[in-house]
Amino acid sequence: MKHVDAAVIGGGILGCFTARNLRQWSISTLLIEKEDDVCREISKANSAIVYAGYDNKPGSLKAEMTVRGNANMEKLCAELEVPFDRCGSMMVSFGEKGEQTLRKKLEQGRANGVPGLELLTGEEARAREPMLSENVTAALYSSTTGTVNPWQLGIAAYENALQNGCEAWLGTAVTAITREEEGYRIDTDREPIRCKYIINCAGMYADWVQAMVHPVPVELILNGSDYIVLDSRARKPRHILFQERENGKGLTVVPCVEGNLLLDSPARPLGQPWAVSAGGLEKIHALAPQLLPELELEMTIRSFGAVRPNPRSADGKNLPDYCIETPAPDFLSFIGIKTPGLTCADELGRYAAETCAEYLHAEKAPAFDPRRRAIPAMKEDPDWYEIVCRCGNVTKGQIREAIARGALTVDAVKRRVGSGMGRCQGSRCTLKIEKLLEEYRHGAL
Amino acid sequence: MEHYDILIIGGGVAGIAAAKAAGGARVLLAESRPQLGGVLLQCAHHGFGKDKSGTEYAAELLQDFPEEITLALNTTVLSVSENRTALLSGRGFGRKRIGFSRLILATGCREIPMGALPIAGTRPKGVYTAGQMQELMNLHGFVPEGPAVILGSGDLGLIMARQLAQAGIDVTLVEKKDSCGGMTRNRRCLEEYPIRLLCSDTIREVRGYPHITGCVTASGECLPCKTLLIAAGMVPERELVSHLGNPDWLHICGNCCAVHPMVEAVANEGKQAGIAATEKLGGAL
Ligand SMILES: Cc1cc2nc3c(=O)[nH]c(=O)nc-3n(C[C@H](O)[C@H](O)[C@H](O)COP(=O)(O)OP(=O)(O)OC[C@H]3O[C@@H](n4cnc5c(N)ncnc54)[C@H](O)[C@@H]3O)c2cc1C
Repeated sequence: MKHVDAAVIGGGILGCFTARNLRQWSISTLLIEKEDDVCREISKANSAIVYAGYDNKPGSLKAEMTVRGNANMEKLCAELEVPFDRCGSMMVSFGEKGEQTLRKKLEQGRANGVPGLELLTGEEARAREPMLSENVTAALYSSTTGTVNPWQLGIAAYENALQNGCEAWLGTAVTAITREEEGYRIDTDREPIRCKYIINCAGMYADWVQAMVHPVPVELILNGSDYIVLDSRARKPRHILFQERENGKGLTVVPCVEGNLLLDSPARPLGQPWAVSAGGLEKIHALAPQLLPELELEMTIRSFGAVRPNPRSADGKNLPDYCIETPAPDFLSFIGIKTPGLTCADELGRYAAETCAEYLHAEKAPAFDPRRRAIPAMKEDPDWYEIVCRCGNVTKGQIREAIARGALTVDAVKRRVGSGMGRCQGSRCTLKIEKLLEEYRHGAL
Repeated sequence: MEHYDILIIGGGVAGIAAAKAAGGARVLLAESRPQLGGVLLQCAHHGFGKDKSGTEYAAELLQDFPEEITLALNTTVLSVSENRTALLSGRGFGRKRIGFSRLILATGCREIPMGALPIAGTRPKGVYTAGQMQELMNLHGFVPEGPAVILGSGDLGLIMARQLAQAGIDVTLVEKKDSCGGMTRNRRCLEEYPIRLLCSDTIREVRGYPHITGCVTASGECLPCKTLLIAAGMVPERELVSHLGNPDWLHICGNCCAVHPMVEAVANEGKQAGIAATEKLGGAL
């Protein structure tokens, strides 16, 4: 039987930031994740956008946390040594109806205290973003919108949490939770755990996890969407673009920190979770030229499917704000936190940690060190001269370091050092990385 | 900064042939793998030169490889600049910039991966490029699970279809065009083995997770499989020089110039590039 103060169920970006924030207090923490790595589900398949905060209703938790999360992103990314690009965004419209939406968002943004918003004419927008279509009639420019790699941010928070004494059980699924006299007993497919407080960060399964021990007044309805990634050599816009068509939402286009371009299609019914839909790919191909006529879709290197959880109340209403449940004073659930959960990950993590600390009467941990070191690009060492991934110029040294930091699979290595993400999609380096993993397993035994 | 008359990037057939022809010049040949030979090293099948295997052909080509050439194995060229310098990085070589008078690009080609194709469905294990499977089988003794589907019936698709069929694996080839691609001698496997060929069709969707269980074709047929090979074509690997325009000091040869079906053509192009580069050095020598 394992004993801890707080158990965090789920190692998506919210679980990682919750764990990191808990370690700012004298709260012993165990992170439990069913997959063999953190950030494998919603936190890996999303739009990578750090939102400005004009999309959300004034007074909502989402609005408040997004504006704060956005403002803090530079500091957070500096502490965690994760690249962040405040590239700015444009929401573009193609006629009167779309322009109404832009004006509404502008007003909403101002009410939320979002800085750097400007309404532009089509001409003005094209002057700043020459790739835009001639048919764009107006744009809402936002200077504070940015982009960060979601799994890099999550992994960095995870590493920092471990560095500060958090424990993690990866590859461990929670199978049952029972109320005890004080706290809970958590059964897993490994050892059982006894804890005083539970923070449920199980993403698309969070309703189900809460139902293991408490009633859940909300239900998660899942839908999906599809993404295409273009090679870093493809022409790309400078800003994040949101296409506001006359008949509904269009594409979202994100120039990522790695140099690739990400294209996100509008939401669709779920189908098989994480699978790409043929209709979604067709939709991207149909919408992209309307927004960016010179986009080089033939430079596609990858496509993937995403799952979007939508919390709905018992009477069938969509819940627009974050759904944070506290069915008991010692239990907190983040249920289906969707956009802009990446932007707010640290805010939400802090909220959970503070709620838990208050309940446990915990003290601040003076030794907490917020700094996490990224895997360096170069070291003076033969391993760091040898290139393993030729598309991304990733060295053997970087890969060895990723493995030493806990990457167990080719995919986990990829998410730490960017190997296999380029134009050959790992067809040349996968085997070499498998060998390095094998070598490590033998050496480590 | 070290300076060379000629920098050759890539130690496959084209690069080796170019190096051999560049007599008298101070040559540096950089190859990212630990040995010379390039893609030939994984070609166990026959059909190179006068019906040699790829490995035999490479060994023969390397027999009289000039000793005076500086070899940088395990060394990758990261970038090439307009001012005729290149940044190299390699185990023994370190990471340093060198200068050169002429450049021979012999970087070969790469395969188109599944991600580049408009294929819906899951992203499971069990999907490889054809060349990746060739390397796995011939250099690492791997035998994939059948049944297998191969997308593309060009030469590489056919070569892998034959090899899988020889290993007793059930193979279906899916070809977009209305007839099988590839050279006659590679097409012969269709008569010699019970390989199914589906023409005027393509793969629209992949099924199964975490491991592939099948593919759905555009015509709606579901092909159960445990292995999918993508043999949908090759792209010349020219990214290192694509920003340079067409400077007089640059020679491009072999499969990074255009994808050649026959190895002799590549060797010949490499040789011509080696001769031309040496001649153009002229007074500099
Ligand atoms: C399509 C899409 C696009 C988005 N784009 C953006 C964006 O651009 N900007 C932005 O700010 N936000 C964006 N978001 C929101 C953001 O991605 C999410 O809010 C965030 O990733 C949610 O993180 P999570 O930790 O709740 O979920 P997840 O990442 O899914 O983590 C949940 C974890 O719990 C684990 N788990 C589940 N059950 C158990 C169990 N029984 N035992 C142990 N472990 C378990 C899972 O394996 C998983 O790792 C987007 C969301 C979606 C869906």
